Amino acid sequence: MSPKGIRVGSRLASAPVRFWFDGRQYTGQRGDTAASALLAHGVRVLGRSLKYRRPRGLLTAGPEEPNVLLTVGSRPAVIPNVPAPQLVLTDDLEFRSQNRWPSLRCDLASALQAGGGFFGAGFYYKTFMWPSWRSYETIVRNLAGLGEAPRAARLPPPTIEHLSCDVLVGGAGPAGLAAALAAARTGARVVVCEREPEYGGELEFEGGTIDGRPGAQWIAEVAAELARRGVRMLTDTAIVGGSGGLLIAHAEPGGLAGHNRIYRIRPQRFVIAMGAVERPIAFVDNDRPGVMLLGAAERYLARYGAAAGNNLVLFGNHDRLYAAAARFLAAGLRVRAIVDSRTDFAMAEGGTTASGLRAELQRGGVECLPGHAVLAAEGGVTVRGARVAPLASPHDERHIICDAILVSGGWSPAVHAGLHEGGKRRYADCSAAFIAAGQPEWRMSAGASNAALDLAAVVADGFAAGERAARASGAAGSAGPAPVASGDGPPRLAPFWSSPASTYQEKRQFVDFQNDVTVADLRQALAEGFIDIEHIKRYTTLGVGTEQGRTCDVLGAAIVAELKRETLLAVGTSRTRPPYHPVTLAALAGHRVGQQLRPLRRTPLHEWHEAHGGVLEPAEYWMRARYYRANGADAFAAGVAEAARVRAAGGILDGSTLGKIEVAGQDAAAYLDRMYLTQASAIKVGRSKYMVNLREDGMVLDDGIVLRLADDRYLATTSSGHAGHMLAHFEHYADTEWSGREVALTDVTEAWAVIVVAGPASRDTLRAVLGSAWHADLERLTHMDFATGRWHSRELRVLRAGFSGELAFELHCRPAIAMPLWQALVDAGLEPYGLEALDVLRVEKGYLVGAELNGQTTPYDLGMDGLVKLGNPCVGRALLDRPAFHEASRPRLVGLRAADGKATILGGAQITTAAASSRPVGHITSAAYSPALRQWIGLALVARSLAADGTELVARDPLRNGDTPVRVSPLVHFDPNGERMKS
Amino acid sequence: MTRLTCPFCGPRDLEEFLFRKTLPEPGASAYAQVYERANRLEDSLEHWQHVHGCRAWLLIRRNPSTGEVLKLELLGGGGP
Amino acid sequence: MKGPEPRYSAWALLRARLAGAGYWRPLWSGRRLQDAYDVVVVGAGGHGLATAYHLARDHRIHRVAVLEKRLVGYGNVGRNTTIVRSNYLLPENHYFYEDSLRRWERLSHELNYNVMYSPRGIVDLALSDGEMVDLARRGNAMRLAGIDAELLDRRGVLRFAPELAASGPRRFDIVGGLLQRRGGTVRHDAVAWGYARAATALGVDIIEDCEVTGVRTEGSVATGVETRRGYVKADRIVFAVAGHTGAIGEMLGVHLPVETHLLQAMVTEPVKPLVSSVLVYVYPHGECYVTQSDRGGVLMGGFMDGFPSYTQEGQWFRLEDVVRSAVALLPQLASLRILRQWAGVQDMTMDGSFIIDRIRYDNVFLNGGWCYGGFKTIPASGAACAALVATGTAPDLIRAHGLARFATGHLLDESGGGPFPVRL
Repeated sequence: MSPKGIRVGSRLASAPVRFWFDGRQYTGQRGDTAASALLAHGVRVLGRSLKYRRPRGLLTAGPEEPNVLLTVGSRPAVIPNVPAPQLVLTDDLEFRSQNRWPSLRCDLASALQAGGGFFGAGFYYKTFMWPSWRSYETIVRNLAGLGEAPRAARLPPPTIEHLSCDVLVGGAGPAGLAAALAAARTGARVVVCEREPEYGGELEFEGGTIDGRPGAQWIAEVAAELARRGVRMLTDTAIVGGSGGLLIAHAEPGGLAGHNRIYRIRPQRFVIAMGAVERPIAFVDNDRPGVMLLGAAERYLARYGAAAGNNLVLFGNHDRLYAAAARFLAAGLRVRAIVDSRTDFAMAEGGTTASGLRAELQRGGVECLPGHAVLAAEGGVTVRGARVAPLASPHDERHIICDAILVSGGWSPAVHAGLHEGGKRRYADCSAAFIAAGQPEWRMSAGASNAALDLAAVVADGFAAGERAARASGAAGSAGPAPVASGDGPPRLAPFWSSPASTYQEKRQFVDFQNDVTVADLRQALAEGFIDIEHIKRYTTLGVGTEQGRTCDVLGAAIVAELKRETLLAVGTSRTRPPYHPVTLAALAGHRVGQQLRPLRRTPLHEWHEAHGGVLEPAEYWMRARYYRANGADAFAAGVAEAARVRAAGGILDGSTLGKIEVAGQDAAAYLDRMYLTQASAIKVGRSKYMVNLREDGMVLDDGIVLRLADDRYLATTSSGHAGHMLAHFEHYADTEWSGREVALTDVTEAWAVIVVAGPASRDTLRAVLGSAWHADLERLTHMDFATGRWHSRELRVLRAGFSGELAFELHCRPAIAMPLWQALVDAGLEPYGLEALDVLRVEKGYLVGAELNGQTTPYDLGMDGLVKLGNPCVGRALLDRPAFHEASRPRLVGLRAADGKATILGGAQITTAAASSRPVGHITSAAYSPALRQWIGLALVARSLAADGTELVARDPLRNGDTPVRVSPLVHFDPNGERMKS
Repeated sequence: MTRLTCPFCGPRDLEEFLFRKTLPEPGASAYAQVYERANRLEDSLEHWQHVHGCRAWLLIRRNPSTGEVLKLELLGGGGP
Repeated sequence: MKGPEPRYSAWALLRARLAGAGYWRPLWSGRRLQDAYDVVVVGAGGHGLATAYHLARDHRIHRVAVLEKRLVGYGNVGRNTTIVRSNYLLPENHYFYEDSLRRWERLSHELNYNVMYSPRGIVDLALSDGEMVDLARRGNAMRLAGIDAELLDRRGVLRFAPELAASGPRRFDIVGGLLQRRGGTVRHDAVAWGYARAATALGVDIIEDCEVTGVRTEGSVATGVETRRGYVKADRIVFAVAGHTGAIGEMLGVHLPVETHLLQAMVTEPVKPLVSSVLVYVYPHGECYVTQSDRGGVLMGGFMDGFPSYTQEGQWFRLEDVVRSAVALLPQLASLRILRQWAGVQDMTMDGSFIIDRIRYDNVFLNGGWCYGGFKTIPASGAACAALVATGTAPDLIRAHGLARFATGHLLDESGGGPFPVRL
């Protein structure tokens, strides 16, 4: 079966690491990834594909791995879909293969492969309709979905760092290092982000020298120089996205969520040197474990000493095959054959002439097969041979025994980061792929990302880009001479995408491994008229997997081009989307999660409410007491008790969240006349008025009391939740219509705490608490008057108002005295009431509770016709005359009571004329049980034609309360003449 | 879209700003001012506020097809 | 309707397997642009295709062309979070959305194309008693109209969506929710393709890569459209170009009550079932809706980017904002990865409701202004718009959705947000 795994010497420390895969214990070396360790153990089958459940092994050595995704950790906080090449081993790490049941070896759903033709592209659009999709969906959902769903996540928030630099270099391969070097020498401040744990990219295994030094030595020297020059070098860090010139890099060392770091980087210039992604070639059973990308095999060997196999067949379309073969031979592996698809024999032969490779390969017994292709990977579960044939006569097949087929169809530049904010694709002939062009001035590609494919060109391109970027960012030095590199030489790639196969065999020529998209699927999509690559992607699911098309998008497009007999350029590839690399939600969410999701605003009395049984609920960012536990078992009971006590004796309410905007300047009065439905200029100094704002479309926006503090100074109060909105609204008009005039707006919401003292005992209690200095004022103040003074040497304003219908005072005080004042009131015998009780008091009095100000009501609807008639040309007034606003179907705010005087009515009930009618004529906005009237009462918006007192209607509340006959009543349920308030 | 350069605060991230409305044609009726929008693909005249900054209101001319800012000035006059 | 040939079924799949290549036929491509049509529909998105389909099917108007600038289904029908629901407050809206939901329920059979309607339920979550009252108002209105709705308390919410129990106390915790069980999701691309196939079978010409650049008119009547492929005569013209509605208005000389905004959505890597339904979480200055596709990816969306844009590229801060909201709702999502983020351009009207009406000329019609609600209305919109175009009279379901409503004040302001798509 599987070849015996081998290590052929490795750069890793020999310290052993124990880990568990699918319940079995293995030992790797420190520094191994899950992929390299299992490869070294000869474990070939590491996962199963999504659709057909075909056994799969490693294809790549990077995050683009489509086949081997692992579920890490134990329940409930598992981490699914971790690409094996990214999972660095730690002691006793536990992980599992995915997409198999009951086990990797024996998967029941793998019977699906037999249906290869049946389950072709888009099969689910054509069936599963009877009786309904829902009857199949549960099964489908359980079969789909790759890894296990986490039931919990225990992730610390990421560390977030903000970096600002002249030049950001994405990638620290040869191009990136050269770019960073040039930029740093030119004098720029440079940050480098490298996705891998180490620098160097393919220099790690590719032969060649730079400035006469071997690759590894050059890397070390450059890294040292960069460090000396203060370049910030971030490894394990991928640039994942951004917008507006901000770039986001994500560090996830070890490939495990949990050690996340986020860098928010704002460079002057951004050099994309992210290399290129090697792509496979489509041949029959090219997904059989043992088929691996050439570069991946080289990386596993060079970095981890893990061999892809003992007997190799190399298959590709460029010169790199030969140099790679020599390196495999040097490592002691057997290379059976090099299958080179290039039919231009001179070119294919030429690959062997470079650097005396020919002799070396002959010595190793390597058979060179120019003009050939691998038609199929043969074997059982894993590769046991390659079926090879000359392209000129594909029926002359022969079999080559091997245990691994290393394939390379060329490299697709990593264009992703260059395709947003103005970037476009351009076809690059030399790599038969696309590069990013049309870049904004702050961004450029270099090296393999820019389709430079041999080391000399890569280094030169990177260096030049680095210097250009540094100069553009303002650095004035000189980068000096560019490093001179010589490597494997240009690959001289000749496009080759799929080996000859019968139409039937195309069902096993895989293009997108993760989603099981085959050449047959592409052909079928075309036959069904999905001819644009974007449609083909969506229809076949090509490139929508976790690797987002990195290994397969160009390959898929090229095969489509062949099938359509068009050029790859004409076909293009589908649109890429951020992020450039998958990034965990934990990293994106940052630290503003959990209780930090939004700021928490506390009134100066917040701690008192908490300590005294206040049940707090959010009111925008504030927390306000809904009721106090001592007063009842729930909001309803406590609210009724608290409201009753206010009417019987008195109570205090924390109103500090009230929005407060100070409006000052000699034009303040005229300005406020414009902003409010009624005139602020008519208010006398020392007086206040209940006022209403309209939105531009005539709807009521907010209400509140406006106090005239001085001739040229007002305090406008807003409802708690609207404070921010109202301030911006006010500022907008001050800066547009009123610009050039003297209106200054200041948000003083937190400069004043507010305590409402309501009830018959309020005046007497205040006399006692505030002291004799205030006695005259307390007597003098009539409804809506206010007085200013001091208490405990801090400013205090006492306004006679309170939205309870009782004799009441609003105490606006400086926050420093809020707590002592509150405590003094409590000590004087007043007890607090919460919002529930406030609502009860308001409904009793017919005051707007809140639900009436829903942005859908005009002042006419709310019974403010008189205020409109005053004719103040305020904001929103001009559109109030639209005909619909005067129709009989418009609502009118009325009082409402159960017809029998007993039944419950609830806010949110709809209202119809009869129980048989389904057409709402209004709804109950607010309702409460009135302790004063001993019955349920409500406020309702009811069609004007039905708003007459005594009209019989039905409250319809199928969700909670059923049907209740109700009767329209006067809006003010309690103390209609307001005698208590004026007492 | 790049950052916006507030006349008071300098270049700032977009999330500090609040877009309010696209402006209609000059001299529009009261109705048009509230409801009509000049929807030009490459030239949009807008009111914004630097709401999480100095709170100044800004008049911005932008190309909504590219995000390019063509002009930015204070609405309230004055300024640095 | 029998649907186009070959009919899709498991049996057909089997036959196709035996017959080999050549059994399936193109769904829509290959038609030639003619010189003249009874109706030209501009835009081969969901609304345009559905309109063409219903013109042919319900009104026997077969000389219909759908002209598309890019590709069938390239716009918002392929860039949304696939949610369908009819849990609207205003009767003018909920009857229409309910008509749509009922059509979704049978659309796969009607089109003979599996659009994967999945009634997994949608829950609007409430964070305070006051919000429960708002939800009750909406749910009661729905129930009176015969639409399913249930008000859940906190326990009910957790029973229906047990995944919500994985969180400790949230900054804004859940006190209840409004559930519509028939709400759910539909496979978005399938909708465009299914309609395109069915319309083609009825004789409609769907022409891709055919941008309309102008309208030729005589007095109050349009005579045809200018396209990149030449002039096409048309007795009637329908614009269904979501996201570019405002620009079409300008082309016709009308400043529409529309602003174009970006709405982002994003999806994680696929995992086994995690989110059972559609969850909507709205809190002060934040919002997200979360669902999970049949492939297993968790889909998320939230606020608009907040300013006019046609770029189809979302701002990063908004992506973070949506993710933060989703993690606040479902902390267990934190270890999943975002694979892909995209943005749709949507035309936001000044009362938040759509517009289907004549525009400027007697025989030119506008189907647009879909705000957040475009995808879920495609079937109803197609039927109603076709009826208006064919008969000249708006059917009851869309009678209130004319352009004149802004001037008369017959606003359909579902949320009370007023004439500002972006709130202060």
